[in-house]
Amino acid sequence: MKKRLAALTLCFAMAASMLAGCGEKEEDDNKELVLYTWEGLFPQEVLDGFEEETGIKIISSNFDTNETMLEKIQQTDGKDYDIVVGDDYIIEQIVKNGLAKKLDKTQISNFGNINPLYQSQFYDPDNEYTVPHGAGIPLIVYDPAQVDFEIKGYEDLWNPKLEDKIAMIGSYRAVNGFVLQTMGKSMNEEDVQVIEQAGEKLKELAPNIRMIQDSDTQNALLNGEASVAYLYTSQVTAALAENPDLKVVYPEEGLGFGIMNLFIPKNAPDELNAYKFLNYILEPENAAKCFDALGYYCTTNAADDLVNPNLVVPDSVKKGEIVQNVSAEANEAYEKNWTEFKAACD
Amino acid sequence: MEKKKRSGLFLTVAPLYIFTLVFVAGPLLYMIALSFATNSDGWGTLWKFTLENYKKIADPVYLKSFSQSFQLAFTSTICITLLGYPFGYFMAKQSAKWKKRIMLLIMVPFWTSSLIRMYGWIILLQAKGVFNTLLVKLGIIEEPLKILYSYPAVVIGMIYALLPFMVLSVYSSVEKMDWSLVEAARDLGASRAKAFLTITLKLTLPGLLTGVILSFVPSMGLFFIADILGGNKIVLVGSVIQDQLTRGSNWPFAAALAVVLMVLTSIMIYLYRKITHVKDLEGFF
Repeated sequence: MKKRLAALTLCFAMAASMLAGCGEKEEDDNKELVLYTWEGLFPQEVLDGFEEETGIKIISSNFDTNETMLEKIQQTDGKDYDIVVGDDYIIEQIVKNGLAKKLDKTQISNFGNINPLYQSQFYDPDNEYTVPHGAGIPLIVYDPAQVDFEIKGYEDLWNPKLEDKIAMIGSYRAVNGFVLQTMGKSMNEEDVQVIEQAGEKLKELAPNIRMIQDSDTQNALLNGEASVAYLYTSQVTAALAENPDLKVVYPEEGLGFGIMNLFIPKNAPDELNAYKFLNYILEPENAAKCFDALGYYCTTNAADDLVNPNLVVPDSVKKGEIVQNVSAEANEAYEKNWTEFKAACD
Repeated sequence: MEKKKRSGLFLTVAPLYIFTLVFVAGPLLYMIALSFATNSDGWGTLWKFTLENYKKIADPVYLKSFSQSFQLAFTSTICITLLGYPFGYFMAKQSAKWKKRIMLLIMVPFWTSSLIRMYGWIILLQAKGVFNTLLVKLGIIEEPLKILYSYPAVVIGMIYALLPFMVLSVYSSVEKMDWSLVEAARDLGASRAKAFLTITLKLTLPGLLTGVILSFVPSMGLFFIADILGGNKIVLVGSVIQDQLTRGSNWPFAAALAVVLMVLTSIMIYLYRKITHVKDLEGFF
């Protein structure tokens, strides 16, 4: 009997607390912010800081691929989330399909902290929808102890002194892209004939290639297999962490990059909280914390002095281009260049 | 009564057949159908009949990837045979206790992912790695050898990955052998070498050929070894297919490449059988 009574009391207690929970939720409905991002996009420290400062509770959910995110936002008609992240090419789809909300910039006083180098891109030419949050830039890194001349740009990779010395990532568009940049063309060239010319030039690079690999490419540089490497941003950061004597080259021909962006879905439940959050992470100190943890290039130039100096692109760099989707025909030509190039490396 | 028994048997076996049809024949047919489809702009496939995908294979770049694959498979298989046959042969002649121990040693590496084991080879072969450091310290060489990211490194990786298949099939066939036949040959005056060539080799040929096929066929497809140890510089059909499936996003072309690869491999197996006159490669035909 006692047991039964205890159980009954517990049941009531639970039901009561559930009801209490409901009530609370209704009362403080505007005290919530739902993030939909890559796992670990924001450091916990920054999220806690935001919660403390504003009293808004953050709810995080994650996705693995841009495509999953697009599908989810389409399905829910942008209703479930307040802040979402995505890469440049998928943002293009989001904006085209009207899934992003036009930002009310009067609500984001720190909007001016953003580095203009990463703004006005093809997916958002008038900066109406997006706040860039980190850029990935494949760059050349080399060991000055093993290379007896200064590497200034992509063109130097063709130098015969670098025979069998270059390690390279396997991103066929980035590699095709820099060849086109050395020819003064766009990374997104559509003219198959020009792409084929780039292919011929790329093949001339073959004797200098030691290895091509997409993951942990920096190891080849660190363990002495190669003395020059063309690496993704995360790999550049990892390489510098292990060997600070390595030199990073910001090629004179211009950069090729990818940009992550935050946006507010068109039917976000707590728009105002979303603005507060954007404003918060655009604060220099908070931005610096974010990029230090993320290891991508800092897109908030107000934070440039605070962030790990390796994550700041020098002011001298003015030119950057993003790899975009091209026609199937052009893509095939790029793909073929790549296969021919790899075969020529053997 | 007889009929009932039969239908019972049929029902018992049916799930197996259905499984095979759905999960083996199904994807295969899908792949063949896909190889005649048209690649669409952007993502996806258009179901419009075309021979374009097969025409494209005739391009020297892609033809070269086939010849590279065959060359590598041949080289590896020959090395594997030269190493694996004696290994399996002597293993079968050990005492039961040692047989078990050797078997364990062969099997243990399989408990780790082959990908991780390949990364292990990087540590051994790299410029500042175990092998080079040893040679330099011993004064045999002055500069570290550039083994990693070269053709020999890929062959080493292939041998390492596929040797157990050869060893085990040779072992099982030597083990089954009737040694009294060898004794008889020796009694009748055959030299050791002659007895081996006329009796042992002939009787263990099925095992040897099973080993050859078990190492040749997979080595046509093990492109990740060429990626990891060869630094992606040897373009094999496998990596072209992977590239087309992922970054190239041209699935029909990838399917066409896969169909051609499959046909060529089948022809190879057929030729092996014809040339060697071995009829009892159970399970293969």
